[in-house]
Amino acid sequence: MAMKALLIDLPRCMGCRGCQVACKHEFKRPAEKTGFFGGPGYQNPADLSKDTWCLVTYNEVLVNGRFEWVFGKRQCMHCQVPGCISACPVKALEKLPSGPVVYHKEKCLGCRYCMLACPFVVPRFEFTSWNPYITKCTMCAHRQAVGEIPACAKACPTGAITFGDRDALIREARRRIATNPTKYVHQIYGLEEAGGTCVLHISSVPFDKIGYITRGVPSSPMVAHTEPAMKAIPVVMLGLAAILGLGYHLRTRLEHNRSAGRPPTQA
Amino acid sequence: MSIVSEKRASLGLGSGVLALLATLGIALAFYRFATGIASVSNLNQGYPWGFWIGFDVLTGIALAAGGFVVAGLMHMFGGEKYHPLVRPTILTAFLGYLLFIAALLVDLGRPWTIWHMTIMWHHESPMFEVGWCVMLYTTILFLEFLPVVFERFHWQRAFQVWRSVSPWIAIALLVLFAIALVQKPAWVIAIAAILVAFQLGVEFGIVHRNPRMPTMLMMAGIIFSTLHQSSLGTLFLIVPHKLNVIWYSPLLPVHFFVSAVAAGLAMVIVESTLSARLFGRRVELYLLKDVGSLLAWAILAYLALRGLDLVFRGVGMELLVINPQSIAFWAEVVIGLLIPLGILLTPEFATSGPWLFWSSILVIIGLFLNRLNVSVIGITSEYGRTYYPHWMEIAISAGIVSAGILVYIYICRNFPVYTHEGEPASGR
Repeated sequence: MAMKALLIDLPRCMGCRGCQVACKHEFKRPAEKTGFFGGPGYQNPADLSKDTWCLVTYNEVLVNGRFEWVFGKRQCMHCQVPGCISACPVKALEKLPSGPVVYHKEKCLGCRYCMLACPFVVPRFEFTSWNPYITKCTMCAHRQAVGEIPACAKACPTGAITFGDRDALIREARRRIATNPTKYVHQIYGLEEAGGTCVLHISSVPFDKIGYITRGVPSSPMVAHTEPAMKAIPVVMLGLAAILGLGYHLRTRLEHNRSAGRPPTQA
Repeated sequence: MSIVSEKRASLGLGSGVLALLATLGIALAFYRFATGIASVSNLNQGYPWGFWIGFDVLTGIALAAGGFVVAGLMHMFGGEKYHPLVRPTILTAFLGYLLFIAALLVDLGRPWTIWHMTIMWHHESPMFEVGWCVMLYTTILFLEFLPVVFERFHWQRAFQVWRSVSPWIAIALLVLFAIALVQKPAWVIAIAAILVAFQLGVEFGIVHRNPRMPTMLMMAGIIFSTLHQSSLGTLFLIVPHKLNVIWYSPLLPVHFFVSAVAAGLAMVIVESTLSARLFGRRVELYLLKDVGSLLAWAILAYLALRGLDLVFRGVGMELLVINPQSIAFWAEVVIGLLIPLGILLTPEFATSGPWLFWSSILVIIGLFLNRLNVSVIGITSEYGRTYYPHWMEIAISAGIVSAGILVYIYICRNFPVYTHEGEPASGR
């Protein structure tokens, strides 16, 4: 099965938040009590939360000498080699061959290492519950399983969210940028970030201006950073066992020979 | 006599305070289990880890390192003279691990699922390695502590059984660990072969048999401890995007290991000094001087490691600008490394009990600062999240530590932890 993906064409977004509502509806997540806050003003709510897995961000950006609203979209990026999965000690997170990164809640310990590992700061934790789980976007894996497209893509009225094969969407993104080179910045966010993701974004303004995490996100998968240390485990075990065993044997032999006949440690 | 009774009185007051703190901490822990983590902590979506990880887990485990450091000294360098230090440090390490597990249960969202780690294996995850090290090393520490219990109740038969069975349990645990974390059978077989060969050597009299404690048990302790200390550093290798460049290094596991050795040595000094005062014994100053000079070497090694690491990664300006991270870095280095090193390298101070004690305290504070820097202060979170520990987070940690100290005192009073002239019950 080809790996599916979402292409988010930000210039087509008009900030209606239909995707946000569709997501809440699909997963029956309750509404949040929100208010105006400093900064991006009309953005609502301020951040992804345990109940908001899909968020349209509102950004005032200086474009050609005047301020304009530029919208962004935040959700799980569904990395190709996800950091959260390599972090999880009990395999509560799983990458489906079709693209989605899904969560098996019954396995989860609540250690929150996935939250630390995620370069896009996506997984959320139910801190207010006595029996808390991690929550995040599932790319509507349950809808995909029955041939439907994700709820956000279905709801979008302007075609800003396209669902399809990842390879095809990369070609499509490149085509859109190439046919309209002045409209788009020449970058596909998600093509290489953290080893490549299944949510691809194209934008009319540089991504760091609209709150995307650009600084510090490595282009290699997160697991590449822990792998060398994990690979060293057998070397350390074997090395220590050999050195300690041999060292002990040689030392006691030496002491034994020195104290000629007397058992060494009962001196 | 009057001095003794005075000591008793002050201890009574101290125990009272500890008992109060422990009760408060445990009560708050119950409150947290009923209402969720948010009601007792400031942990949030941007800072999923905070004071509990920095103090209880990272610092607590490093301070329990005394157990393996002393075992290592005994084992490798034949430090039979260090034997008086062995039982107290094993007890501290064992209690330290039990406390740490208690603290971890408070921090985990769904602690009743912690056993999942035993059957849901994921060798790729540093957290899986950490969890397995905790489980298996705690078992080893328990086995290492058992002779104290046997001796207390004069269970000579149990001691004999322990002495013949425990090395094989240690081997089984090491091999199980290798199977869980190493995917290549060749490595597992090689590791198993070395361990079994050594133990067979002991059984057939080729390798010297340690009368007090099976050597294999000590080896297993050293191996698990080494892996555990370094794996805590490995945890943070997954955050190149969040951890400040001052601390983020591919060598983080090695940093954690070397600094844990230094902290372990400091803990041996602090613990021996305090317990000597508490139980009216003489301080083994002749031993502590040696430990002090080893501590100086450990600090030097750690300084060299950190210094070279910073140079090779080209970190310079970050240390000179004034921001919370650079201040935290210098606090860690000056308080925890430079001042104690200065004290330990001054001949008059290096042989004085109080100076050894206070320099060790500084090393321990420095280690705490370092772990807090790596897990909280050095972590940057996007989207404007901030984190300061809630007083209840600190109160729960303080309660757990207080409970631990009380248990330690109780065991030292009622079990032969410090009667070190004795071989184990049936040793001869």
